[in-house]
Amino acid sequence: MTGALATVVEVFVSGMAKASLYAMMALGLTLIFGLLGVLNFAHGSLTMVGAYVAGLVMVTFAAGSSGLGAVVWFVVAALVATTLVGGVGAAMEVGLIRKLYDRPPIYQILLTFGVTLVLDELMRIVVLFYGQQPRADWRAALGTKPSFVDGNVSVLGASIPALELFEVAFGVLVVVAVWAFLTQTRYGLVVRAGSEDDEMASALGVDVRRVFTVVFALGAGLAGLAGALLMWDPAWGASVPLASETLLPAFVVVIVGGLGTFRGTVIAAVLVGMVDGVTTYFFNEGIITFSGISELMIFLILVGVLVVRPQGIAGQAEVGGH
Amino acid sequence: MFLWFARRVSRVKRRWGVISTETVDRETAVDTDESWVREYARDHVAHLLVVAAFGVYPLLYSLLVALGGGVAGAFLPRPETMTAVFYFGLFAMSFDFISGYTGYLSFGHAAFYGTGGYFVVLVANGKVPLLPADTPFMVSMVLAGVLAALLAVVIGSVSFRLSGVYFAMITLGFAQVMYVFMRDWGFLSSNPRDGVAVSNDLHPAGFEIGIPGVDALNLAIGPLRGDEIEWLFLDLGATEVSYYMVGLVVLVCYFAMQRMVHSPFGRVLVAIRENEERARAVGYNTFRYKLGAFAASAFFAGVAGALFAGVRRSVSPDNSLYFLVSGDALLASIIGGFGTLAGPLYGWLFDRSVVEFLSKTGAGGGLLPLLREYLPGSVVEAQLVGGMTFGEGIEVFLNGHAPLYLGAVFVAFVVYVPGGLLGWVRNRLGGTVAKQLPAYLAKLRR
Repeated sequence: MTGALATVVEVFVSGMAKASLYAMMALGLTLIFGLLGVLNFAHGSLTMVGAYVAGLVMVTFAAGSSGLGAVVWFVVAALVATTLVGGVGAAMEVGLIRKLYDRPPIYQILLTFGVTLVLDELMRIVVLFYGQQPRADWRAALGTKPSFVDGNVSVLGASIPALELFEVAFGVLVVVAVWAFLTQTRYGLVVRAGSEDDEMASALGVDVRRVFTVVFALGAGLAGLAGALLMWDPAWGASVPLASETLLPAFVVVIVGGLGTFRGTVIAAVLVGMVDGVTTYFFNEGIITFSGISELMIFLILVGVLVVRPQGIAGQAEVGGH
Repeated sequence: MFLWFARRVSRVKRRWGVISTETVDRETAVDTDESWVREYARDHVAHLLVVAAFGVYPLLYSLLVALGGGVAGAFLPRPETMTAVFYFGLFAMSFDFISGYTGYLSFGHAAFYGTGGYFVVLVANGKVPLLPADTPFMVSMVLAGVLAALLAVVIGSVSFRLSGVYFAMITLGFAQVMYVFMRDWGFLSSNPRDGVAVSNDLHPAGFEIGIPGVDALNLAIGPLRGDEIEWLFLDLGATEVSYYMVGLVVLVCYFAMQRMVHSPFGRVLVAIRENEERARAVGYNTFRYKLGAFAASAFFAGVAGALFAGVRRSVSPDNSLYFLVSGDALLASIIGGFGTLAGPLYGWLFDRSVVEFLSKTGAGGGLLPLLREYLPGSVVEAQLVGGMTFGEGIEVFLNGHAPLYLGAVFVAFVVYVPGGLLGWVRNRLGGTVAKQLPAYLAKLRR
């Protein structure tokens, strides 16, 4: 009797864990697009840099620690990754993207695509220099997991990997924090006003240029934070190809949710994560034999949503006319 | 008689937008005795020069390498690389044809490139129904283009309801669906992730480019199975034959696209890019124009993919269907000149030259062998920071890492030279090279 219920719980939790990873990958992207109207192709690369930076902190300082010590070091690593990658984002906005606001939006896509090439290759040079494989996931970072996120937890008769529960908790925490920032703080109000109508906001005395920089840094920082979380997940791990592997799902989530809408992004992340979890389960059970099924489904969701409802789940029809 | 024909050609050309109305009037008024052949040759003097330059390149290359040794070998791309520049340049041009001229960024263009590549290889392996394994390459190449065009009509009829970022994303979505599907479809080969190769049992000879059915007018391409010919004093190896045959197909495709771009059809595409609402208000059914352009562009992308697979005799999902392949076409277009048609070919030539110059193996020369040859050993082995020698520094930071520097160049182009190489040249000359060069030559003669 526990069989069916346990399976449902297992699939649900793994779907939610994937959802929280997808939400983490996409939050920064949607924040940046919402305010600046820039589709940041370098987002995946920023996530990748974050994963390496957080992994480096963990490997150097927290290699032996376990229990509370590891949690403290993880928080430190996540903060370092967020700050550093956020700094890279701020530099990108001030140094490059600011020059292109008056050009057609395609040019911002192109620019950030070029930044991706540079960041990926820089990281590849660093990784090769230290004798690591850029392709395989960085085992040293994976190995810094403390024991309590490594094993399985028994809930309702189901055996659930503790890592998935950790990912869900982390994702929920970050989503709530960003939501609180946007709705409960004065600066969040400014950001929302800027997303609504940046000309009006600047007419009312908001220094929109500075808000742009801050939000770009914040979005990039969220990418770094996502990297810190992915560093521990054996399905992702810190590697150079992580850049394009996270960029594509992040795009899907952001587009499906409606570009630039926070609520839509979270809903879409749950949708995509659950579909991924369920199809992965079907594949593991041998019900579906096509090995790329979950990836295929993710992109089919993208195409389907764009055909039926181009503005996305929570978007308004005129968002595209930015 | 000739006069009538020249007038007629001018009229036709005027209608197709080849020469602007003023020049036609001036020419027909002044040079009425000039034959249409000469007039045509003069209009295309820039094209002729470019074709001639590419035509002598392999000979020039072997001559310079024989004379200059390391220096020429290090800086000039090898003919093998140039063949790749041709077929991928064609793909980049087809990308530019839709993205640069209509302004709709087709970020899933790799889908059509991959369609072409996969189709040709699968036909050769006898895996496509109704087409026997010994179908001539020229036939399967054209069919590959047609299939890509049909796919474009399907994708486009859905995607062109959207614009801007959304259009880029939905085409990307379609391409990724295809990528995942072809990557994991067991029917294709025993290990579809590594791609599909042409079976050597079914196809011992190289793919032939020429007129299908006429054996004397065909030459096989490919590094190992290509034909070698001796003609007069020329001794052409398989590499050079592949270079010329692939170049020939690319040339024909370029002229087909060039004609379209300069036709009224092409004018409407530019109108769509500049102001789609106005184009629609003037009375054009922009949806149909966009769809037509998309299909034509996909046709040439499919042909490019077929050439790519034909030369290499294999195709894999990562080198044909992945979204970074579209990214490469984008890179070539931006560096060469977005919306210039010929520019992406030069952009990709630049890209490949840098990659080869900084290549890890140093095959065909490269930076490090050159330095080893010309700098004294003490400089190459000189210690820099932390015990790293100068040579090792180059090894670590330069060799095999061309994307870093190309990415930086790309960013610089986007910010400072949005027109790209060819766009910049056109800006300096005040018009296309094809138009300005004859005028300049005429001024010299006077």
